[in-house]
Amino acid sequence: MSAPAADPGTTVDDGRYLYCVVGVDDGESDADWSESNAVDGAEAYLVTADGIGAVVHRCERTPNPNDLSAVKRSLLRHQHVVDAAGDAFGTPLPLRFGTVVEGGDAAVREWLAETAATQRRHLDAFAGKWEYRIEVGWDEEALAEAVESSDDRLAELAETLGDSSEGTSFLVQKQYDKRLSDLVYAEREERVATLAERLDPLVEEMEELGRPAVSLEDDDGSDSGPSFRVAVLAPEENEIPIGDVLDEVEANPETTGVQYTGPWPPYTFAPSLGEGGSDDAGSGSGGRESEAGGR
Amino acid sequence: MSSAGPTRTSDSLADVVEMLLDKGIVINADIVVSVGQTELLGIELRAAIASFETAAEYGLQFPEGTDMRRVAAASGRDALPEEEEGPLAPVIDAAGGSEADSEEVSEADAEETNETGDDEADAEETTEAEDSDETSEATEATVEPEGDDADG
Repeated sequence: MSAPAADPGTTVDDGRYLYCVVGVDDGESDADWSESNAVDGAEAYLVTADGIGAVVHRCERTPNPNDLSAVKRSLLRHQHVVDAAGDAFGTPLPLRFGTVVEGGDAAVREWLAETAATQRRHLDAFAGKWEYRIEVGWDEEALAEAVESSDDRLAELAETLGDSSEGTSFLVQKQYDKRLSDLVYAEREERVATLAERLDPLVEEMEELGRPAVSLEDDDGSDSGPSFRVAVLAPEENEIPIGDVLDEVEANPETTGVQYTGPWPPYTFAPSLGEGGSDDAGSGSGGRESEAGGR
Repeated sequence: MSSAGPTRTSDSLADVVEMLLDKGIVINADIVVSVGQTELLGIELRAAIASFETAAEYGLQFPEGTDMRRVAAASGRDALPEEEEGPLAPVIDAAGGSEADSEEVSEADAEETNETGDDEADAEETTEAEDSDETSEATEATVEPEGDDADG
């Protein structure tokens, strides 16, 4: 909303496309790192100031989202560059796709210098930790079977159902269905809670992601069953222990699938720069603090 | 999952799309000229990626029952016909109509000749004419009662 946006594909003056911010050693100079095959086939390089560095490439135009296949390619190349930077410098602070600044390396360097204290603090906090994404799905029918076999009240209703006349059985059936769906819901909640509890000691932060944006809202739950979808921030050494927990969950017959991806840069947990940072950025080229990001 | 570690098969495009477009640091600084129009782009792109053509390629699957017409429309491949907005410019039968309505019509449509000598109406007419929304509302209000009249 408040984020500045140029028209797609417009020409920018001495533009720099930003990928991420990384921590660099004091002795490290701009020329020490580069990554070819970046977005638009450019070469990504490092601009450093005050112990941090921004990974950028020179660009003359802002990204044009009209060509979707090109955007897909760009997204993957963007991630490729951020991955390479992460390999070289440790966990980076990843920027939103499509961030372009004007004013060349000098402007980037100035921005780095102004925000160095905050960025350094976040880089230190993220050091050695990565984002992992976890998705677990359950089969609704299998959950229903599981609760059906263990609930006395349902068994009672089923018995009544067999003995009832046509009119009564309709009502009993309704009671049965209601009870069953309540139980399935509770069962799912319990499984989610149990899983979250088991993951808790292994992760630093957990954020629920909601349903994947690729599914349209009106097919909700029709066939996919209940699911658990989170991003977690976890130390690298907990990668395998988390996977072990998920393997156990996957072995469960009611589980339809487990997806575990990573390590990713901490996109979901990335701070909002320019918001609430009292020890930085206050005295720069002005006007930035008022425009807090939309999210 | 065959092993305990996380995977990143075929670069996990779905994750990449979601993270790069929805998450990540947004800089609020004067030097920023573009943050990629990510909200709209994200919707279009995800729909396109999720579409039938690319779903298999990236290992994504649609749940059964998904309305593919909507997906196609959202991805801009074969847009559904958009509902046309009713015309804002009023088509007014100045002669007909019921009593109360005809006054509103004349106000909205600047037919002062019909109302000559009525100072009050002239004053109202000026204010109403300034607001095009009210004009169209007045028009709608005119059309419906007329239909009712015909029925009754």
